[in-house]
Amino acid sequence: MARAVAIIGVGQTKHGRRDDVNYPELVYEAVKAALEDAGISPEDVEAVVHGTMPSAMEGINAAHLYLSDAVTAFGKPLMRVATCGSTGMSLAHSAFYHVASGLFDIVMAVGSEKMLENDPQGTMTTVADPFFQRPFIGGAPGVFSMQGIQYAHRYNLPEERVREAAARISVNHHDNALDNPYAHIRTKITVEDVLKSRIIAYPTRLMDVCPSSDGACAVIFVSEEKAKKFSKKPAWVKGLSYVGDEHFFGDSDKVVWESAIIAAQKAYKMAGIRSPQKELDVAEIYNPFTYQELIYYECFGFCDRGEACKLVEDGVVLRGGELPCDPSGGVLCTNPIGATGLIRVGEAALQVTGRADDRQIPGAKTALSHAMGGADQFNGIMIVGSEL
Amino acid sequence: MANKVAIVAVAQVGHNDALGKNLREISYEVTKNVLNQVGMKQEELGTIITSSSDFWQGISCSRSVYFDAMGAYLKDSSKAAEDGALGFLYGLMRVMSGHFDNALVHAITKSSEIPSLSTLTNLYADPFFQRPIGLDDVSAAAMQARLYMDRYKITEEQAARVVVKNLGNALNNPYAHKKMKISVDEVLRSEVMAHPIKALDCAAYSDGTCALLLASEEKAKKLTDSPVWVKGMGWCTDHHFFGDRDLLNGGLRKAAKKAYDMAGITKPLEEIDVAEICEPYSFQELLWYEQLGFCSDGEGGKLIDNGITVMDGKLPVNPSGGVLATNPYVARGLIRVTEAALQVMGKAGERQVPGVKTSLAHSTHGFAGQHHSVVILGK
Repeated sequence: MARAVAIIGVGQTKHGRRDDVNYPELVYEAVKAALEDAGISPEDVEAVVHGTMPSAMEGINAAHLYLSDAVTAFGKPLMRVATCGSTGMSLAHSAFYHVASGLFDIVMAVGSEKMLENDPQGTMTTVADPFFQRPFIGGAPGVFSMQGIQYAHRYNLPEERVREAAARISVNHHDNALDNPYAHIRTKITVEDVLKSRIIAYPTRLMDVCPSSDGACAVIFVSEEKAKKFSKKPAWVKGLSYVGDEHFFGDSDKVVWESAIIAAQKAYKMAGIRSPQKELDVAEIYNPFTYQELIYYECFGFCDRGEACKLVEDGVVLRGGELPCDPSGGVLCTNPIGATGLIRVGEAALQVTGRADDRQIPGAKTALSHAMGGADQFNGIMIVGSEL
Repeated sequence: MANKVAIVAVAQVGHNDALGKNLREISYEVTKNVLNQVGMKQEELGTIITSSSDFWQGISCSRSVYFDAMGAYLKDSSKAAEDGALGFLYGLMRVMSGHFDNALVHAITKSSEIPSLSTLTNLYADPFFQRPIGLDDVSAAAMQARLYMDRYKITEEQAARVVVKNLGNALNNPYAHKKMKISVDEVLRSEVMAHPIKALDCAAYSDGTCALLLASEEKAKKLTDSPVWVKGMGWCTDHHFFGDRDLLNGGLRKAAKKAYDMAGITKPLEEIDVAEICEPYSFQELLWYEQLGFCSDGEGGKLIDNGITVMDGKLPVNPSGGVLATNPYVARGLIRVTEAALQVMGKAGERQVPGVKTSLAHSTHGFAGQHHSVVILGK
């Protein structure tokens, strides 16, 4: 029988432009918050996992070494995990396996990014291979916009309808972010605002896209024994999976997206979930681009293929619906990349333990968290629940 | 260890200063080699952990470009960045957890395609205080060497003997990059890089990759007759700011203690038959002897003087030639594990130490050993 693993502490910084602190200070803000949330001291933490997006983002090689003191790793095992956008999710998985292996009882995962000190899209372009795809892939929007177009065309959906659904996701998430004191973009917007915002790469408009943020997140994973010792209400890891497909864009189908579908299926199987839309109470989906979120609803089995727009039109995935997505405002409103996936996990843990304050989905017991990374290539999932 | 895990197959490429194949080609080569050894198909792979580095590859999210070439398509996978030893440890934890019965671990760097060691390691330093003064790998190591010499009267000749030993050992290793028979004098006369470190005291800058397969006890018994069991492991980090650290007393002692405690080793010099340790600079091998508990503090020089760590000594260190001979940066930690495993399997060819039952693998990255890992393997 595999060892049970729980989350007992979540800490995040106030995200946004953080010129008031330097990078280690920013990271420590999240670490301190997580330790306080768990009610433990730095000495209790037995091992640390840290990660960022590509190292070039802050221009620091091996950032885990630079931040070793800020993440309280002096004299402790420390590991750097970096898988692009999915880094935060990979951190959660790494911390999970640290504990599940039986080697450690208390492990802290820390993800961070200070994107506004650099050129995020310049960095992102270097994810593509240097010979064939880098010369024409201009940062993230190009890739994700192609995926959005591919989606509309696959199911012969009127582009207006897809654009409208994407815009409604954007409005919903921006409204949610108003209830999240940590969120970066906190602005009231309308569907009209989204549809009229300037085009970044057709069909993606400015308000379909996430911001670049400074921020950090820390999440503390523990064994069953420590969970019972330190926490009255831990969040239990029920299922996890992380799957990738081909590197070259064009080699894989990004609409019926195998890596996302299989990651979800494996995590559901582990968590004993057969009917995700009914059994999940809330989902924190990694959605740097609104159109991608539509694709994820289908890949994660929230609806049938080609039906994602209807899910939005019926309000199922919006606030107050049957399966509300991104009550935190999601990636669309906050995106310090190395931390972003871990924020999804942390927010999911807060939801199932009833600690999400104004953004709480009433009675949430089971939550899905997700992140995507690589060259639009990797999908990782962690499902958390209120019961062991 | 509660859940026993074994290394069942290892593979590496012939390392060189510039391999004429790309990252995807050499990743495929070692993966295929490992699978062939145990008669496994890609579909049967459990999980895959790779180690590489964005800066040491010039491609961000470094693993994504060779991901599908190493059989990871639709597999549960991850990356432990910067040090292949961390990839090994992560793969190990995944198998120990019981969620997977086997794990492919892989590490890669092509030094021929990236900027110099000095440029890349200057980026280790914080951007405000230490980077502008030009702190880099060799200058950091030189300060450590100077302190070591001053505190314990270690000599440049003793460090040079490590070079003579390791590059000489590399002559027996078909996978080694830099191999030569040289004299202490030649090392001492080589160009000064940062006093007291000279060109021949520094590690090679290599292209290369390495892969190995880990399996649970049950699975290992099905796959091979000669499993190498992981007996102990430990890893540890030091402070970042150079002046905050005691450069002669870092995290290695703690990492080694954890590994030894797990493996039940109390007298390393007596109980370990061979060690593969990561010595980017020759004098570091002597310092690591001390922190690994092979001798007491300040005695590292005597160990080499007395021939304890040469091929036919009591505890041969780096029969493969070590990092001085072969240094595909991120892969070097996993190569240490691979070589230590080959020694236990008795498959190390001309560099085989006779009768190995227990071996040690060590890796380090960061300025002057900011991060250390230790793994103990055995029959």
